[in-house]
Amino acid sequence: MMKKHSFGKAFDVAWTYALLIVVGFIFFFPCLWIVLASFSKSGSIYSFEGFFPTTYSIDTFKKLFTDTTMYNYPRWFFNTLFVAAGSCILGTFLTILTAYTMSRFEFRARKPMMKTTMVLGMFPSFMGMTAVYILMTQFGLINQIWGLILIYAAGAPMGYLTQKGFFDTIPKAIDEAAKIDGANSAQIFWKINLPLSKPIIVYTALTSFTWPWSDFILPKLLLKEKDLYTVAVGLMSLDETEFSRFAAGSVFIAVPIVIL
Amino acid sequence: MKRKIAMALVAVMSLSLLNGCGGDAKKSDSASEGAATSGIFSGELEENVTIQVLENDTAISKGYFSQLIEAFNKEYEQYGITAVDANMDQYLDLANDGPYGYGPDVLYQANDVIMQYAQGKHILPLPVEKLDSYSQIPEAAWQAYMVSVDGNTYTCGVPVNVQAPMLYYRKDLLPEDWKESWDANSNDIPDMIEDWKNMYDFSVQRHQENPSQYGYMKSLYDVYFSSGFLFSYGGYIFGDNNTNPEDIGFAAGDSAKGAWILSQLAGIMNEDCIDDTITTNAYSKLADGTYFATLSTPDTYSTFYDELVNEYVGQGLNQEEAQKKAEENLVMTGLPKLPESGNLTEDNPKLVDSKTMGGVNGYAISSYTKYPNACLAFVNFATSYEMIMLRNETLGIAPAREDVASDLGGLSEAMYEELDKGNIVLMPSIKEVSQIWTPGQTFFTDLAKDAFRSEAEKKYKDLDSMEAGLEDMCNQIHDAIYTLE
Repeated sequence: MMKKHSFGKAFDVAWTYALLIVVGFIFFFPCLWIVLASFSKSGSIYSFEGFFPTTYSIDTFKKLFTDTTMYNYPRWFFNTLFVAAGSCILGTFLTILTAYTMSRFEFRARKPMMKTTMVLGMFPSFMGMTAVYILMTQFGLINQIWGLILIYAAGAPMGYLTQKGFFDTIPKAIDEAAKIDGANSAQIFWKINLPLSKPIIVYTALTSFTWPWSDFILPKLLLKEKDLYTVAVGLMSLDETEFSRFAAGSVFIAVPIVIL
Repeated sequence: MKRKIAMALVAVMSLSLLNGCGGDAKKSDSASEGAATSGIFSGELEENVTIQVLENDTAISKGYFSQLIEAFNKEYEQYGITAVDANMDQYLDLANDGPYGYGPDVLYQANDVIMQYAQGKHILPLPVEKLDSYSQIPEAAWQAYMVSVDGNTYTCGVPVNVQAPMLYYRKDLLPEDWKESWDANSNDIPDMIEDWKNMYDFSVQRHQENPSQYGYMKSLYDVYFSSGFLFSYGGYIFGDNNTNPEDIGFAAGDSAKGAWILSQLAGIMNEDCIDDTITTNAYSKLADGTYFATLSTPDTYSTFYDELVNEYVGQGLNQEEAQKKAEENLVMTGLPKLPESGNLTEDNPKLVDSKTMGGVNGYAISSYTKYPNACLAFVNFATSYEMIMLRNETLGIAPAREDVASDLGGLSEAMYEELDKGNIVLMPSIKEVSQIWTPGQTFFTDLAKDAFRSEAEKKYKDLDSMEAGLEDMCNQIHDAIYTLE
């Protein structure tokens, strides 16, 4: 009886692992393919035999960082890092403040504002792209990296609901206790609630970083000069004969996200 | 409640008004600039200015553009005029970015693109007769940049080079005994380069000998390359010298024979000819010997050449040997002649010249520039004899200047003659040309697919069905032009 039970359990575990490996491989395969393609020596997707390159070399990665006459990848990488880091810091700050305000303070416009942001959040962001472009021309923020950071950071608080949910779980009794001890609202926020909110701050910072890191539409719309391109826009501008450079650029851009 | 709604309305209306003010101010600026073009080119150079020049990517990557701006900046140093790379995507959107001040001052583009901008008044009409190159450029090339408004004719661009499909092939892929087997008239030119019937026969033979190799390969879906086969048998784009969009002529004359030629050529290729796969992979496939020949434009010579050099280096030659061998073996030449009957299997056919669709690439000046005279000086400098000669040496283009073409001789001169003879049909310079591509692609894609359909499913079995297909394509173009008007 015991033996039969352990056999069934082993079969169940083996079957589960086999299924997970197959599913994992299906999702991993495109990543593996792009990594191998980035090491292709020929540079052309058409020289592959079946799925994989025929010869391998690290020349493409060298070219990516040294041959910058037409495609200045290091500059694009720095631009992307600057935009993502700037949006991350500013966006996280604004989102946390918004969520905290909505969670902790009672004011007349609170409910209407929550409803309005919820409805606005249902519209896809690219609906407003034309308006954004015209506004940015009026402010002189086309071809400005800061323009991008401002838009990302200003849009970030729209997704404050997750953070508000987190703040709602912190008992208000703690705030009241601090108030009795003489703390004002700012002190309660900085010294009591913020240290308790590290997990949600990390989550907010990560999502605020990854969105600008991989976004294409907004930088394509606002950045006209090649030296200001982000990696996503730059890679899309590569010539059709530069496939392995595209693959190498795509692989390298994933490095910071993987580290994070 | 009413008070709140009223307040909200006031706020929205105030914002709308403010926004309206900003936009109008810009528009009136650009409109007044456009209206005053006649007095813009006073000849007085704007001093101590920087002009942004948009060149094509090949000119930048091959180093020609840096030589050009360096030479110009040295020449105009005394006036403080500096030309710089506009550093933008070569396929810019001047119509949207220009009015807001984000476009280049001078741009290098194909004539159809420039003339679409010209019709939207984004490009300045130029006093071309003041340019040194004026008398050296043929009338046909100037016409590509002419637009007629209220009975007056304006020229909006300066031709630099002529673009037309050319045949690229590898000499070292010819059969070893080609002089005995493939040179019937003993003129030292392989027969498959002289006429399409022999190219067809050679392609069949090469593929039979090695199924992984092909002879002639080209994406049929590309209207720019495929429509030349229609023009060779009497087809045309628009009537009245490409100015009348009411008269669409892709089905005119015996153009169905051109469609038949394409259909037969599809039969010697593989299914990659249906979409743009061959256009994209031809550089590497010609280099690795999978393809023997393809069609492309002269400005892609350096890309084919670089791929072939890499291939030879991969085979063990050093860089210098590889370059020398690539120069010897990569040949760019005119198109073979076509059989008058349209039948590629006919023995000893009567031959006719191949016509091609072509374009003229050149410089234009943005309507939004603040320094038109400095820009004109740049265009004059960039189209001088020395610069066009240097452009040819660096990029292998076919110059529009007669003196450069005749001094270079060979292919440049031959191409110039083809333009003069009317065998290069220039893309129309009217905005309606933008509507020919999609219906054209649909027809040519369907024609290419037909070669891979079973006999029972074929749509284009004879000349009549091909003519009907071409007429359908013309109707679709007509509908697109007049529905979207």
